[in-house]
Amino acid sequence: MRFVLVMAAREMRASWRRLVFFFLCIALGVGAIVTLRSVIQSVRQVFAGEARGLIGADLLVSSSRPIDGDLAARLEARLRTAGAEMTRTAETATMARAASSASAPARMVELKAVGPRFPYYGRLVLQGGATYTHDLVAGFGALVRPELLAQLGIAVGDRIAVGGRDFTVRGVIEAEPGRRLGAFSLGPRVIVDIADLEQTSLVAFGSRVTHQRLVKTPEAGLVALATALREDAKNSFVRVRSYSDTEGDLGEDFARAENYLSLVGLVVVILGGVGVSSVTRVFVQQKLKSIAILKCLGARAAQVLAIYMAQVLVLGALGSVVGVLIAAGVMAWIPQWLGPAVTAGLDVNYQLTPSAVAQGAGTGLLVSMLFSLVPLLDVRHVKPSRLLRDETAKGGRDWVWWTAAVGVGGSVLALTMWQAGSVRIGGIVAIGFVVVAAVLYLAGVALIASVRPLSAAGWFPLRHAALQLTRPGGQVHLVLLTVGLGTFFILGVRALQQNLVSEVSVDLASDAPDMFLLDIQSDQLTGVLSTLASRRPAGAPAPRTLPVMRARVVGVQGKNLTLDDYEDVRGRGSLAREYTVTYRSHLEANERIVEGVAWDGPSASGEVSIEESLRDRFGIRIGDAIRFDVLGRIVTATVASVRHVDWSDGRAGGFMFVFRPGLLDTAPHGHIAFVRGPEAGADRARLLSDLAGGYPNVSVIDGREMLSALKTVVDNVTLAVTVVGTLVVVSGLMILVGAVAMTKFRRVYEAAILKTLGATRRVIATMLLLEYGVLGVLAGVLGAAGAAALTWALSRFAFDMAYRPIPALWMIGIATTGVVVSVVGVAASWDVLQRKPLATLRAE
Amino acid sequence: MITLRDVSKTVDSGGRPLTILHPLHLTVPDGQFLAIVGPSGSGKTTLLGLMAGLDAPTTGVIEVGGTDITALDEDRLAVLRGARIGFVFQFFHLVPSLTALENVLVPMELVGRRDARARAVALLAEVGLGDRGHHYPSQLSGGEQQRVAIARALANDPPLILADEPTGNLDGANGRHILDLLLSVRSARQVTLVLVTHDHDIAALADARLTMRDGRPVPELTTAAVGAGQ
Repeated sequence: MRFVLVMAAREMRASWRRLVFFFLCIALGVGAIVTLRSVIQSVRQVFAGEARGLIGADLLVSSSRPIDGDLAARLEARLRTAGAEMTRTAETATMARAASSASAPARMVELKAVGPRFPYYGRLVLQGGATYTHDLVAGFGALVRPELLAQLGIAVGDRIAVGGRDFTVRGVIEAEPGRRLGAFSLGPRVIVDIADLEQTSLVAFGSRVTHQRLVKTPEAGLVALATALREDAKNSFVRVRSYSDTEGDLGEDFARAENYLSLVGLVVVILGGVGVSSVTRVFVQQKLKSIAILKCLGARAAQVLAIYMAQVLVLGALGSVVGVLIAAGVMAWIPQWLGPAVTAGLDVNYQLTPSAVAQGAGTGLLVSMLFSLVPLLDVRHVKPSRLLRDETAKGGRDWVWWTAAVGVGGSVLALTMWQAGSVRIGGIVAIGFVVVAAVLYLAGVALIASVRPLSAAGWFPLRHAALQLTRPGGQVHLVLLTVGLGTFFILGVRALQQNLVSEVSVDLASDAPDMFLLDIQSDQLTGVLSTLASRRPAGAPAPRTLPVMRARVVGVQGKNLTLDDYEDVRGRGSLAREYTVTYRSHLEANERIVEGVAWDGPSASGEVSIEESLRDRFGIRIGDAIRFDVLGRIVTATVASVRHVDWSDGRAGGFMFVFRPGLLDTAPHGHIAFVRGPEAGADRARLLSDLAGGYPNVSVIDGREMLSALKTVVDNVTLAVTVVGTLVVVSGLMILVGAVAMTKFRRVYEAAILKTLGATRRVIATMLLLEYGVLGVLAGVLGAAGAAALTWALSRFAFDMAYRPIPALWMIGIATTGVVVSVVGVAASWDVLQRKPLATLRAE
Repeated sequence: MITLRDVSKTVDSGGRPLTILHPLHLTVPDGQFLAIVGPSGSGKTTLLGLMAGLDAPTTGVIEVGGTDITALDEDRLAVLRGARIGFVFQFFHLVPSLTALENVLVPMELVGRRDARARAVALLAEVGLGDRGHHYPSQLSGGEQQRVAIARALANDPPLILADEPTGNLDGANGRHILDLLLSVRSARQVTLVLVTHDHDIAALADARLTMRDGRPVPELTTAAVGAGQ
């Protein structure tokens, strides 16, 4: 054992330079794993202790309808017996504008109305260190997010108009308990007193308000109280959540995010592993003589194997340590990098967590060992007799080799499952990786074969560059695979981004509606339409309005599906949500009937047409009777048809349930309007202001703002995937540098012969430039082709939108890859150009 | 004592069997200096490799110090070589990534000798390279590399030294020095020395001579205890 360690240490003095690049790939992957896991675990630790703060209570009772009557009485009785206390809150999206003038611009805000004891847990942080008390909002006071001040051009002390009443801004919210990071929001938060909310026009029959009760109760009675409240709320649309439910959900979300993201790191580690495997093979080839000498001097095969395995392990360990150091560096930078905007109110202490370090380093070490084992097994076949005469070792694939190969494959699969935290996901990722790698490898082989004719070219440097690329035993395929894969990631996500954004932009570019008005009351409809008409830009189509109401499914009597009451529906997940429904006698342009027949004219018998996903997901069939609760009224309708809706065409909106006219016409309902608003910002602001002034309960969603919000989301995703792609490209370039280092001896020798035969350094440099340039272009072609295929498939099958090829992006991608690879390749081969031929040949 | 009985070697040459050593008996008594001579391709290096267990014979039995080495597997052979056979090659075959001292250390470390370092230093001094121990093979001349190889061959005090053209890759003066070194080592330690050479002057210094041609001994030019097998 001592001998093995001593020999490994001695050999490392010479071998580390040649192997270092491969282990830097391992370091990159380990760094990625450790960073991602640490960040998520750091954030998770913050949430873990503050699940109560997230909902501001021990228990949260919420409903889309006012909690009153019987239910409220039972609720209060329960709380009394449990010794719990309660405060009310409500949330709604509405419009706000500066109260100073009727023509001030209006903005959509997320209004939260709170009772005197809000919040029981967590802290509402105000700017300037002010402490939140209910007095700040009581008597038409408001607390707002800083972005609203900027948007409305107001300051603390000014007044804003919300729901037809004026509120004085008394403070600026820095952080609010329960506000999820990065969650989609319709607008900035405004907090007012719940007593004042009732004085506005916002809480009316059918308005879109979420009513909540925050409950504080002794921990001992929490579970019993939650169970009792759930029993009371049965078949009502009231939801009861305890802080520990939230904690559990959050825990699962974080665990899933952590595991998925770590797979990114794992992919980089495995690419490094593939590099390690390939370099180990070359390394063993170069060490054949030393191995034979050791065996001649009395070393057993197992000892020799151990000497080289020990070197791999040491380098793998060093790679892992470097990876952890990279992660530590990144973690130290994160607070400055993310800035206060993201971390506001969250006191996250970003630091490496022991479990992240252990998982990352363990993965790095395991991958190094697993991927070098099979090629190292060849040292067993090296015969000492090769010292007497030249003979090639037969790399026999005996049972040991097969056992090791199968064992390594199984271990990598297990590793992937471990990192994914799921057997299924791990299996899918592993299979996907193998398939992608196999496809890229085969494509690489075909591409390399396609440049073979160049080896007959008349121009000397081109001929020799082609010969170098097509000769066996190089690392060409591996470099092609990794650089190609990275380019594929980068180009693929960019193409997808451009396709997505242009798809939405095209919708806006035509005369499609770009503003959506919600919650128009029936008696406001004429007024809203005349306001819209007065601001209507020339040539724009007239606004379209649709009658809508909100309804819940409370029962289904069908062939395949029987749900007796709302509790049964709740068991079906999203079927229990509140749907916006409409009635009409015709189909819109973006719909067609796929089953059943269209109705003609009104009928009081009650018929409904469902969107096809309801049929596919829940098994609702033609002829089934569905019971709906429409604002408290129960109606039953028979499924008459199933529709396909082209959701990407938002001109007429899309509805999961469309009723036959006649049943709901007399029910209380509101309207929505699709409007093509004015182009100019000032005109648009004036229209918004008019609407907010005249109809404070009407919410206006500005499609253009939503588009820019969507763009931001898409941009962030693109950035994240680009980082991954860049990591993969960098590992590919490192493998390239390593491959050049491995074959440098041969290259220097060949260049020396060529120089002796009359080749100038210029010719040799051109040769190298062409060789790596062609390699880079091939990798670029591989990545671009993969990206084009991915974008096409996703556009067609996932997003259901038109595919737009982006040749300019492919060209830029291919050219960039070509330049980067040739520069790195030539730089790594600097020695080949610089060495004097005589010295090289004499040494040989 | 080394005993070869009916030992032959046939290799595959382009799909056809080629006998490079015809069946032969040979006995080398302890302490003898045997020179094996002959032109290239006569089978002399093959014979030496077989004695060292570097290669397995196609037929026959080889006993070294009473052990039938043809019955040993690769790992047992390695252990036997490490303890009982020193080998000197024409092309030195030092491990390029190890210093001179470390090259000499390897066989002793393999058997786990405690005095390895002191002994390696002494051996290097004995071959006249006491101050060059920290040099790598590439920093040494051919003659110096061969001295290191001899020091390494002596590391575990083997009773048998096998040398394959030890001066073949050196100029006259350096070759003579190496030969003198080998002969003095042999007389000082009373080891058995089997030396392959095509130099008849060197062969003339040996106790016994075995001349090979086309894989067979040439009886009229041979004084060793040799005979043709079946």
